Amino acid sequence: MNELKELSIVGKRIPKLDAAKKAMGRAEYIQDIKLPGMVYGKILYSKYAHANIVKIDTSRAKALPGVLCILTGDDVPKKMKMGFYKDNPPLKKGKVCSFRDEVAAVAATTPEIAKKALDMIEIQYEELPGIFDPEKAMQPDSPLVHDYHKTNVLNLPWKLHYGDVEKAEKESAFVVEERFTTQWVTHCCLGTSGAIALFDSNNNLTIHTNTQIPSLAQKDFLESLKAMGIENKRVRVIKPIIGGGFGSKLDSYAYEHVAILLAHACRRPVKIQFDRVEEFKATSTRQPTIIYIKQGCDKNGKLTFRDMRMVLDNGAYTSWGATTPSVMMMPITSLYRVENVRYEAKCVYTNNTYSQAFRGYGNPQATFAIESTLDMLAEKAGIDRVQIRRLNRNQPGDVTPQGFKISSCGLSECIDAVEKEMVINGPKEKGIGYGIASLIHVGGGARIYKSDGCGAILKMDDYGKVDIFTGGTDMGQGMDNITAQIVAEELGLLVEDINVVHSDTDVCPWDVGAHASRSTFVAGNAALGAAKKVKAVILEEAAKTFGVSPDQIVMKARNIFVPGDAEKTMTIDKLLRKVHFSPQGKMLMADYFYDPDNENMGKDMKGNMSVTYAFGAHGVKVKVDEETGKVTVLDYVAAHDVGRAINPLLLEGQVYGGVLMGLGYALTEEVVVRDGKTMNANFRDYKLFTAKDAIKIKAPVVETYDEFGPFGAKGIGEPGCVPTAPAIANAVYDAVGVRITTLPITPEKVLAALMEKKKNH
Amino acid sequence: MRLPQFNYTGPDTLEKALDLLSAHAQDAKILAGGTDLLVRMKKGLIAPKFLISLKALNELSYIKKDKNAIRIGARTCLADIIASDLVQKEATALSTACEKVGSATIQHFRGTIGGNILQDNRCFHYNQSAFHRSGRQACHKDGGKICYARDESDRCNSTCQSDGATALMALGAKLVLVSKANERTVALTDFYTTDGIMPFAMEPQELLKEIVIPVEGGKSSYQRLAYRSAIDYPIVCAGVLLKASAKKDTIDDARIVVGAMGRSPLFLNQESSSLKGKLFTDTAAFQKAADSSMNSAATFAVHNVGATLEYRCAMVSEMVFRALQEAAAAASKA
Amino acid sequence: MEKLDLILNINNKPMDVRITPNDTLLEVLRDHLDFTGSKESCGEGVCGSCTVQLDGKPVRSCLTLALEAEGCNVKTVEGLADGDKLSPLQESFVNHGAVQCGFCTPGMLMTADALLQQNSNPDEDTIRKALSGNICRCTGYAKIVEAVAHTAHPDDQCPECASGIKSCCKTKE
Repeated sequence: MNELKELSIVGKRIPKLDAAKKAMGRAEYIQDIKLPGMVYGKILYSKYAHANIVKIDTSRAKALPGVLCILTGDDVPKKMKMGFYKDNPPLKKGKVCSFRDEVAAVAATTPEIAKKALDMIEIQYEELPGIFDPEKAMQPDSPLVHDYHKTNVLNLPWKLHYGDVEKAEKESAFVVEERFTTQWVTHCCLGTSGAIALFDSNNNLTIHTNTQIPSLAQKDFLESLKAMGIENKRVRVIKPIIGGGFGSKLDSYAYEHVAILLAHACRRPVKIQFDRVEEFKATSTRQPTIIYIKQGCDKNGKLTFRDMRMVLDNGAYTSWGATTPSVMMMPITSLYRVENVRYEAKCVYTNNTYSQAFRGYGNPQATFAIESTLDMLAEKAGIDRVQIRRLNRNQPGDVTPQGFKISSCGLSECIDAVEKEMVINGPKEKGIGYGIASLIHVGGGARIYKSDGCGAILKMDDYGKVDIFTGGTDMGQGMDNITAQIVAEELGLLVEDINVVHSDTDVCPWDVGAHASRSTFVAGNAALGAAKKVKAVILEEAAKTFGVSPDQIVMKARNIFVPGDAEKTMTIDKLLRKVHFSPQGKMLMADYFYDPDNENMGKDMKGNMSVTYAFGAHGVKVKVDEETGKVTVLDYVAAHDVGRAINPLLLEGQVYGGVLMGLGYALTEEVVVRDGKTMNANFRDYKLFTAKDAIKIKAPVVETYDEFGPFGAKGIGEPGCVPTAPAIANAVYDAVGVRITTLPITPEKVLAALMEKKKNH
Repeated sequence: MRLPQFNYTGPDTLEKALDLLSAHAQDAKILAGGTDLLVRMKKGLIAPKFLISLKALNELSYIKKDKNAIRIGARTCLADIIASDLVQKEATALSTACEKVGSATIQHFRGTIGGNILQDNRCFHYNQSAFHRSGRQACHKDGGKICYARDESDRCNSTCQSDGATALMALGAKLVLVSKANERTVALTDFYTTDGIMPFAMEPQELLKEIVIPVEGGKSSYQRLAYRSAIDYPIVCAGVLLKASAKKDTIDDARIVVGAMGRSPLFLNQESSSLKGKLFTDTAAFQKAADSSMNSAATFAVHNVGATLEYRCAMVSEMVFRALQEAAAAASKA
Repeated sequence: MEKLDLILNINNKPMDVRITPNDTLLEVLRDHLDFTGSKESCGEGVCGSCTVQLDGKPVRSCLTLALEAEGCNVKTVEGLADGDKLSPLQESFVNHGAVQCGFCTPGMLMTADALLQQNSNPDEDTIRKALSGNICRCTGYAKIVEAVAHTAHPDDQCPECASGIKSCCKTKE
């Protein structure tokens, strides 16, 4: 392991660059943007989970003064389909397959008129029987959600088998088996979704939209334009400041494509702004799962095999939720050392809502089953719960069955850090329990798409200031800071000298998006690459001026100098001017495209998905009220191997926020769906933790200095919410001896399990 | 979310308010803090033509003691009640209940005690957006003929989730209702209809003016269960009042009220009487009364406020038991 | 519908507005007067993103009729800073990392500011209770609570000051 060198800017607790603007109420979110001539779009959703559309009559709505245009499925070009499976047109035609199906859209001069017009659209439906249980939908005699698809099971490659699971099971000393289920939860970004689309006179499109993927959204919108017969035109995606992402904005949504269609039809900027109910119903959830798992170990507790099968409720359409098994494979094959692994996931169409990316991308679901059964296995084998984790821990240099090359790995140190703060196996008090769970996650990008790259363009001016145009996207997590700190560190400047320009496809280079905890690693490396190129030129020029070799020169605190030689020093801006205003002068600019050296998965699902992996361990102390079943979190430790903390202040923010999101997942949050209909589409009934429910979390940081990370850093955006649910479930078991296998762990489930346990004694 | 259109008046005397109410009775609603009313209007559950605001009626904001009663003006904000030593001491259950309503920000001055008592009954089939409700037949409370919470029910089974009302009923409180023509006092136990559509037995032209809490030396407790510790309605709650006999060791009178389990808070007469003459230390009697409360309350409740019905029923017993124990501890200390 | 002319006193400046009775204070602030600092997130009084102060008390502006704010001192997040100089509370939010996506921030600040006006010495439980009507999805509340506590009790033990980058503890001086 490399030694951690004290740096000037990297590693410092520098406040988020746009925090002051936000604290003054001056940050512009999509909610706050008004463009000249802008009109308002609204979408009409289905009244049924599954029905034929017999007739749509828009004539009354069209006649309403102020209505500029009304679109239905008939107005949508046939090839305009969303999602990687291309099964989702922005407005549905002929048939609706879920309550969130968009059936018509209106543009009008005010939001009130648009809403009134929606109420005046008359639609005649013919209701069809709905399919809401994915395991039933898999049966051969089940009715079909999409007739053209022939089966409700999607054609996706989620299957792997390494080693020999059956043989390993036979040879295992201890085996446990369980069924787990996880629920729909949703991102609850405080800022609701919205977009403004407008065309210029040449049919070039500009869209201001809440997205985490400006470049991929641009591609989606270009495809839409092509489908609309508008070829060879430009699309500019501008992402304003967004009120949270968490994965929710990783795929384009119908509302964005509808805004484009409306803007094109009425030649005005069209804004579609969701309210909270719409945000709940028409944006996507975390992928729910039904998990069957078997794990075994030898007589010493060494893991022998892991066998998992999952059924995923795909909903009626397909977005990234259906690809979460690609990331679930990571903990399944690679959390702890286990040689024999089998996994299969089936994604099944139903008439429910469809799922999306959500912080952790499948990892929390898989880890819930793995870490819960690991405790069961430890108990069966008579081994201490911490010990079994230490025994099977991943270690630097490991290559996992899926071909993941573990470079740095601080799992062992993370478990130490948890134990330092909390005695997991301490003396027992009534109703009090401790739980522990670990995690592995991608920490050096994730090659899910063809490219995992990010571009950066850097220019310096005559005053020692830098503009860096990055493909990276900030959504509140602090990509802007990380970029600025890395560039300032490399060029010997201060953070205030760096202007980070992001989230505008007209000026920023390509990037695959703000996901997979990749911004610090990938966008960070892109910025570092550009800074290094500029630095090399600066050093060369300074070497000429000082008459020394470039490697003798240091850039620090806005100065460039030869250490130990008081004569050979000048301010950086002065040098820049000297370089610029000389014969054959030059301006300093550089571009860099960083595409990590990771691999797409092959047919056998093998491949080093990430350049490096993040590890962590969480410990929790809970109190279970045995009369009410209510679980109260008393203490929480979240130890993470982050490679190196570029900014501990923002890093803690990611961990604290991730853990609280994980606690909601574990204990209170659930989108309640009845026959396809969301029953709690509001903040009153969807139970997010309040400040009073939350507790102070301890977040020890383990720095392993990854050789590939920018200044040694790895990703930390998602890991905080990954092992939270199993840590809680394990603590509940420790406290009162009941194993809860369905999330969330509500008081009624705990109480019911306690009563069942009493009955059996 | 836009509010529907209405006309607004903000009378500065009670007399003017009652005149307005009398003139517009059927079409008017009283606006106190608005935390319940305006949300229902935004969801299109009601669309009153007139809102009569109590904003200027400072005369309805007071907490005072007279002889054997605490009198609280209906527009008194919850924060003032929470801050009152008098209420804390003589009507502990109410103080606790008010502290549980919404969050500190809501208690501050938007949330009033009158508004809390008169907050409309809730049901997760009914308290939904207009669009959610539009795709189906209307339920009883929405002007239709069916109930989604209980099959084939001929009436509305919406649930009263008022913390304040449950505590006040346990305290034996009375309400003073005024109209232009009349003023009457009604015991909270007699204030409810048996229909969730209009759960309150009051006339459209009547205004809730005052809450009267008898103070006769009893000790009270309020217990509630919710998923989180703020901005949440109770899924079940209980208020109890215990009065000591002259010798201080036994219970002379008891009142057990269960809330969030029916169309109104439920005063459980039989269970209350069962405690008369029992020792304050008789936890077996408490447990028996609590279990019996569960059975009584279970007949009223339907599955319509979040947690499963089985769970809520089971928790009645626990909440009542805890309330009895707390009140008994306070009474025996006094 | 009946239109009404109203004078609202916002951040100590009288503002003329023409409204209808069903306009909420939030709508008037945002749509009529371009005080877009206050945010709508839930629109039904749960999340607190729209919190402003009326005569020093925090209220949900999405559930307050504009008419009902007449005659009150309305304070919005735009009224916290002195020009570009942040208030100590804002400064503390910035320096303690209490701002991530920032959508809840204006409401949090208005609630916290009201708390500190009323109670200059709140402990952690008091702060958490006061903020319990403001939902945040990014921070886990930890740094928000820390920022409020720090404004009330500046001391030099805080990690932000120890870092030497910004001396947030001096904001009170």
